[in-house]
Amino acid sequence: MNPAKKKNFKIEPFKHKVEMDPKYAEKTWKILEDAIHEIYNHNASGLSFEELYRNAYNMVLHKYGEKLYSGVVATMTQHLREIARIVEAAQGGLFLEELDVKWREHNKSLQMIRDILMYMDRTFVNNFNKTPVHELGLNLWRDYIVRSPKIKDRLLNTLLDLVHRERTGEVINRGLMRNITKMLVELGLPVYQEDFERPFLEAASDFYRLESQQLIETSDCPDYLRKAEKRLNEEIERVAHYLDSKSEAKITQVVEREVIGNRLKLLVEMENSGLISMLIDDKYDDLGRMYNLFRRINTGLQTMRELMTAHLRETGRQLVTDPERLKDPVEFVQRLLDEKDKYDKIIQQSFNNDKMFQNALNSSFEYFINLNIRSPEFISLFVDDKLRKGLKGVSEEDVELVLDKVMMLFRYLQEKDVFEKYYKQHLAKRLLSGRTVSDDAERSLIVKLKTECGYQFTSKLEGMFTDMKTSRDTMQGFNSTWAGAEGNDGPTLTVQVLTTGSWPTQSGARCTMPTEILAMCDKFKMYYLSTHTGRRLTWQTNMGTADLKATFGDGNKHELNVSTYQMCILCLFNTSDHLTYREIEQATDIPAPDLKRNLQSLACVKGKNVLRKEPMSKDISEDDVFIFNDKFSSKFYKVKISTVVAQKESEPEKQETRQKVEEDRKPQIEAAIVRIMKSRRLLDHNNIISEVTKQLQARFMPNPAVIKKRIESLIEREFLERDRTDRKLYRYLA
Amino acid sequence: MAHDRVTLNVGGKYFVTSRTTLANAGRGSMLSAVIDENWQLVPDVGSNELFIDRNPAYFSVLLDLLRTGELHTPPGMLEKPLYREAEYYGLLDHVRAARKGPLNGNRLDCVASISGRATGDGTAIRASPDGGCCVAHDSMVHVYDWLLEEQIPLTLDYVNVNDVGFLSPNRVVICTNDRESGAGGMASFNVKTGNMEHKFQVVHDGESKNFTAGALASSDKHVYASCRGRSYEYGVGTWDQITGQQVTFLYEGPGRPLGDACKLQWLPRTNLLLVANLFPSSDHSFITLLDPRTKGKVWSWNDAAQRGTADEKIVMDTVAMEDCSTVCVVNQFDNLGFIDMRASNQAVRWSHRYQPSKISEAEERCYSKLACSGSQLFSSKNDSVYVFCSPDWDAAKGVQTARLRRPEGGAISDISVGGDRLFVLHSEEDLFDVWETPGPSQIVNTY
Repeated sequence: MNPAKKKNFKIEPFKHKVEMDPKYAEKTWKILEDAIHEIYNHNASGLSFEELYRNAYNMVLHKYGEKLYSGVVATMTQHLREIARIVEAAQGGLFLEELDVKWREHNKSLQMIRDILMYMDRTFVNNFNKTPVHELGLNLWRDYIVRSPKIKDRLLNTLLDLVHRERTGEVINRGLMRNITKMLVELGLPVYQEDFERPFLEAASDFYRLESQQLIETSDCPDYLRKAEKRLNEEIERVAHYLDSKSEAKITQVVEREVIGNRLKLLVEMENSGLISMLIDDKYDDLGRMYNLFRRINTGLQTMRELMTAHLRETGRQLVTDPERLKDPVEFVQRLLDEKDKYDKIIQQSFNNDKMFQNALNSSFEYFINLNIRSPEFISLFVDDKLRKGLKGVSEEDVELVLDKVMMLFRYLQEKDVFEKYYKQHLAKRLLSGRTVSDDAERSLIVKLKTECGYQFTSKLEGMFTDMKTSRDTMQGFNSTWAGAEGNDGPTLTVQVLTTGSWPTQSGARCTMPTEILAMCDKFKMYYLSTHTGRRLTWQTNMGTADLKATFGDGNKHELNVSTYQMCILCLFNTSDHLTYREIEQATDIPAPDLKRNLQSLACVKGKNVLRKEPMSKDISEDDVFIFNDKFSSKFYKVKISTVVAQKESEPEKQETRQKVEEDRKPQIEAAIVRIMKSRRLLDHNNIISEVTKQLQARFMPNPAVIKKRIESLIEREFLERDRTDRKLYRYLA
Repeated sequence: MAHDRVTLNVGGKYFVTSRTTLANAGRGSMLSAVIDENWQLVPDVGSNELFIDRNPAYFSVLLDLLRTGELHTPPGMLEKPLYREAEYYGLLDHVRAARKGPLNGNRLDCVASISGRATGDGTAIRASPDGGCCVAHDSMVHVYDWLLEEQIPLTLDYVNVNDVGFLSPNRVVICTNDRESGAGGMASFNVKTGNMEHKFQVVHDGESKNFTAGALASSDKHVYASCRGRSYEYGVGTWDQITGQQVTFLYEGPGRPLGDACKLQWLPRTNLLLVANLFPSSDHSFITLLDPRTKGKVWSWNDAAQRGTADEKIVMDTVAMEDCSTVCVVNQFDNLGFIDMRASNQAVRWSHRYQPSKISEAEERCYSKLACSGSQLFSSKNDSVYVFCSPDWDAAKGVQTARLRRPEGGAISDISVGGDRLFVLHSEEDLFDVWETPGPSQIVNTY
């Protein structure tokens, strides 16, 4: 601008008029300052909000914002120093109460001051990046009260002391605590965390370290856990009552670490009250508590699982290898089932059905069941027992329940084919002797096996059922054509035609039958072959039964239910009262072990001895003489002479079954090898072993040595050849 | 309820209203404080009224706003005093909400044309988050608040301004060339005081380096700028908005496209930074999307493949539209093009095939500039701004939905969108237009 021009302007008087009263700012500020004093002195009722607001507005409008702001800071600071003195002077327990009262008063005053200075907050504070009045008030409170040297430590110690007193059972003023912690939170989360939470957690850590040390020396495990749980709940409750909710995770973590985490091993392994005792005594509540507490610790559940597994394996091992237990297979399996039930219940009731624990349980069972090579046999025997007598009068659902449990044990078996072998034998016996309780139960179990192991596994078992049915039909036909024509005076013959291969028959068990029976047999043979040409019938005399009508001395008449062998023996006594062992052997042609067994059951069982033996002894020797027991008597008209059968297999039988199983496995292993090699063409030894094992493990665990033998056999038969350069490689020959 | 009734004496005129109505003003308003129970109302003797020493005419309008949510001013009432009164009562936000709606390119009114006093053409205009703006003229930055009142002009050592931007309505960052003396560089200013608040430093090996700050962008926490220094200060710097301290620095090896970037854009949804090197500051065009946290290039495009063909198209401006996953570009013939942001090294799909017959015609004009808001694209061309809207950019066709033009003003040199306003800067004079979408209830304009 041109300075000459400027001089020509006459703006002096105008300017003078605009010029404000120089004392204006001072005066206005005085009014506001007085008002702030009045507000702090609870004497605000005489103040006019509108006037104060207008004054503050005018100060900001006329660019006295800075003066107003710094004035407010100074005035508030002055009051807070005063308040600090009052709070510091408060005696003992009144300290917190005084602080709380002053805090509430300060809040109210701050609210009013902010109302007055609202315009300043909106414009001046915003434009000049100052702290808004409310936040300013909180910051000043923090700096001059909460963090003043004389209050800071006293406040913290008072709070920690109160918490400690509550932990040791005293009742404290929770409302007051709540107000104070709320104040700290309102001053900003960092204030709460640094000035209270961190020392609070440290104090808790110290407290619980000491307490848990004392507790673990004096309490047993369930007691300790109960107290730990109580402490944990107390802390959670404490947070809910008077701490910031964000503290909950932190304080529970401290308790978990000090009370449980650091004592984990000690607790679990505590003698006579730790996990193992709880498991043994079925302490569902204690176990549940342990589970819930240990779940909070990283390695807690793992520690529990490991110990439980070790315990299960050890007790399981003892169970399956205890020679006492081996005497009674049914009891043996029942014990296994009871053990499984026990742990299932524990996992369900106390361990929240935790999958990891279920897996641990399953793997433990799998481990120890297979420790005993006879487990498959025993399980089959157990089923046999249940299906023969155990399930009489039991509801359908309960039958299913038992069968499901058996299936569960079956799943643990590695040698499922051995089970199949035994099961077949036992089923055959049940079917042939007509002693099965429920056809539905039998079929239900077969369906279960089928779903578990596939069609192949059960096809022969199903074949057995089919045979039974066709036999019934055949007998009906036979009886209507032959038996009906000749009247009823001859012996009645019932024949079951068994398909070779489906049944576990022992061939070559011959015996010479009485002539009248032989005649009937021939008739049946003729009938059968006339309807089914091209078939061959062999008699399995070792599996049949017969009902004999016998007359003893004094005209005692009885019907004797005996085996085919026994029938042959007894028929000899129709013509003679006195026979030597050798005579009997010659006449019947029964294999010696069977003969001995049958004679034993005829002569040596008390109350059922239709024969007498000379000399009297338990065992049969080749020089014995057998005499018809004229004095035989019984309460019942029908008398069942059971063959003395070893329920369990005898040692040679066992060997035989074993051998059969091994024999049966050979083609399966070979088939698997060929299947694999056909698709792979070239494979090394280790891979074949692992693939074969993978394919077959649903049925049994193939022995690598056996697999190697099968491979060699296949090489001999030129299904495979060894690679010329790498001897470890096998090649498939199409 | 009689208890609910309040009698106000505003500047001598009586208003009877309810506490409920006054409570609509919200806790931050003087009107809600005046009835707060903390201020136990001591009515003046003999009456039951509350006195407020303000002009009743404006209060009447504002009370009506509280009652109805609509703003109606009688003919002849000026806008500025109304805003002043609204500010006194703490009702400014109510007034603005009633007056201005969310930006919609198809419903824009030109609410003001502001001519400044600057000499020379404005080079860039930038919108502030609350509806203000600033215009760069050579070494000066003129700042306007949301009322479009000019604030104190800003300058950083009187060095030519490369870019300028708002961190908040009250904070502006200016990027300039550096000088040997250490002047220039990059600094933030308080708009209200006109004072420099912080000078941003590039630190390498504990040593502050001089640098030329090029383009600028800001996220809610950080501020980014392309920097050209002598060696290790060449790249994109990241600073914390509150502390002003350098957070990271993205260096680049030979070729150095990052430090030469002439446009940065922060993409808040994907947390990526668009960095564009365009003609004329570089011969080849590069567009890159960087992830500042990993310092990795997430997406990139360059025009190397297209160069040398017959219709040579040089990308002059670009804007990324996150809502459409598209990077929009414009060439020297005002042709729009689109690049898919979802895969790297895509070709541009040009929407128009226009090429002027006379090159001289093109030389006289300003090159086209781009801005976007949601899924709307604004593109300047000569003296108009065109609005495009298409949900499907894959079709490579922006659907033109509106054209904004003022009879005076001439060619447009820059546009910017922010605070629900579109700012259009003209090249001939120191003049810019402000466009906004009217709110649900419009003030009765009396001009």
